Amino acid sequence: MAAIVAVENIGKTYTTVNGDEVVALEGISLAIQKDETVAIVGPSGCGKSTLLRLIAGVERPTDGKIERGTRDGRFIVGYVFQDSSLMRWRTVYDNIRLPLEVVNSHNYEKIDQLIEMTGLKGFEKAYPIELSGGMQRRVSIARAFVHEPSIVLMDEPFTGVDELTKEALQHELGTMLRNLRATAMLVTHDIEEAVFLSNRIFVMSRRPGRIVDEVPVKLPADRDPSMRSDLAFFDAAKKVREKLLAMQAMSVDVEAASPSD
Amino acid sequence: MAGYGLPIASFIVGIILWEAYVRVFKVPAFLFPPPSAIVQVYFTGRIDWVGQTLVTVTEAIFGLVIGVAVGFALALVITLSSILNKILMPYIVALQVLPKVAIAPILYILLGFTDTSRILLIVILTFFPIVINTTTGLTDVDRNLVHLLKSLGASGTTIFYKVRLPNSLPYFFDGLKIGVSGALVGAIVAEFVSSSKGLGFLILNSQYTFNTVAAFGAFVILTVLGLLLYGGVILLGRQLMPWYRPN
Repeated sequence: MAAIVAVENIGKTYTTVNGDEVVALEGISLAIQKDETVAIVGPSGCGKSTLLRLIAGVERPTDGKIERGTRDGRFIVGYVFQDSSLMRWRTVYDNIRLPLEVVNSHNYEKIDQLIEMTGLKGFEKAYPIELSGGMQRRVSIARAFVHEPSIVLMDEPFTGVDELTKEALQHELGTMLRNLRATAMLVTHDIEEAVFLSNRIFVMSRRPGRIVDEVPVKLPADRDPSMRSDLAFFDAAKKVREKLLAMQAMSVDVEAASPSD
Repeated sequence: MAGYGLPIASFIVGIILWEAYVRVFKVPAFLFPPPSAIVQVYFTGRIDWVGQTLVTVTEAIFGLVIGVAVGFALALVITLSSILNKILMPYIVALQVLPKVAIAPILYILLGFTDTSRILLIVILTFFPIVINTTTGLTDVDRNLVHLLKSLGASGTTIFYKVRLPNSLPYFFDGLKIGVSGALVGAIVAEFVSSSKGLGFLILNSQYTFNTVAAFGAFVILTVLGLLLYGGVILLGRQLMPWYRPN
């Protein structure tokens, strides 16, 4: 399998306004193969979103390198953000069309196909303000796939959505990823979401963010909500949770051992 | 319409109480004219109300249009160039902190008792809210949208047209609402200081001749003008931004 993204030993250091250096990421290496979905799970502030921005090319790493495989000679990303981030001045249809405009594509049939797939039929002319939170996520998801990106990057895509809607959206997203044969990277702190949607889960440590474990998800490619009670589902979720808890205990020990001043 | 019942009733009751107070206590009209006298003053034929109103409205709108154009251009400049931002900002802030009507007399020393000096005062009063609001709208954008467009290889110009400019529209209209009020204030102050026509001049002249009822007549027209301009901005905003609901 060809790697769409190969991250080699990257680090990212920010300089604060006071001139202090903050190491956000350190020694991250991972590869994302074509047609697979990987998830990154870790505590808040571990640099998960930073890693996504580095892979998207919006920011540059301080150390290491990122190699990006190309589709038709170009590397294009689709992005799903945690708060939808729609253009409020555009209708549903025009929001989904945005990436096509930027990459100069006229594949407008894809918009109709995605509107159908995401259950947005009949809402094409609605503005984001007229939609529920769940419907806005659907628009955001359709926008991420419309230009047939090399990889779809998802940054906690269902944060703030009620539990039942979240499960329905996760199922729809999983189906889309499979049907569209998409490559994707999901950043989340929801362990069950990571297990349900991905093939492999990378567990990250608290700042500086490092990859401390890789957990394979041994579920069939075709997933449906009933698999949430499979042994393989519980097994992967347990491994990820144990790793996160072990890290949390370690950081508590370190804090307890530190002399107070 | 149900929600308007109480405000309309309150307004009508206020007018009746005003009329009753003046009649019962026999307040002289030159001190505090009753609403009935204000209505009559429009029909005496001694004052060219339409002509005087047109003078003030023309000045206010002309000054507002220039103020908006200058304000919008300045907002673009200080958003696109951080160097020009740093150079121009102290002057813009200093001009805003200064009570602008205070500089009206000096404008006439510099530019004479001309239409230019009157319009300039209105421009000074109107451009600032446009600059500040539009600049905020151009810069206070959803960072994720900028990341999204950057990740697709969009240029700074594309991000400006597709994200920054449309994002600034509600902010611009909020500035325009403040600007229209400033335009009327500017027109009246300019006429107080340097004109022989317009509603501002009429009010000042009424003071000298104890024709208080004429001044009240001008107040009513100014109130209606203010409402029409403000309402016009709101209607235009709704027309151009069907996607926007103010909080």
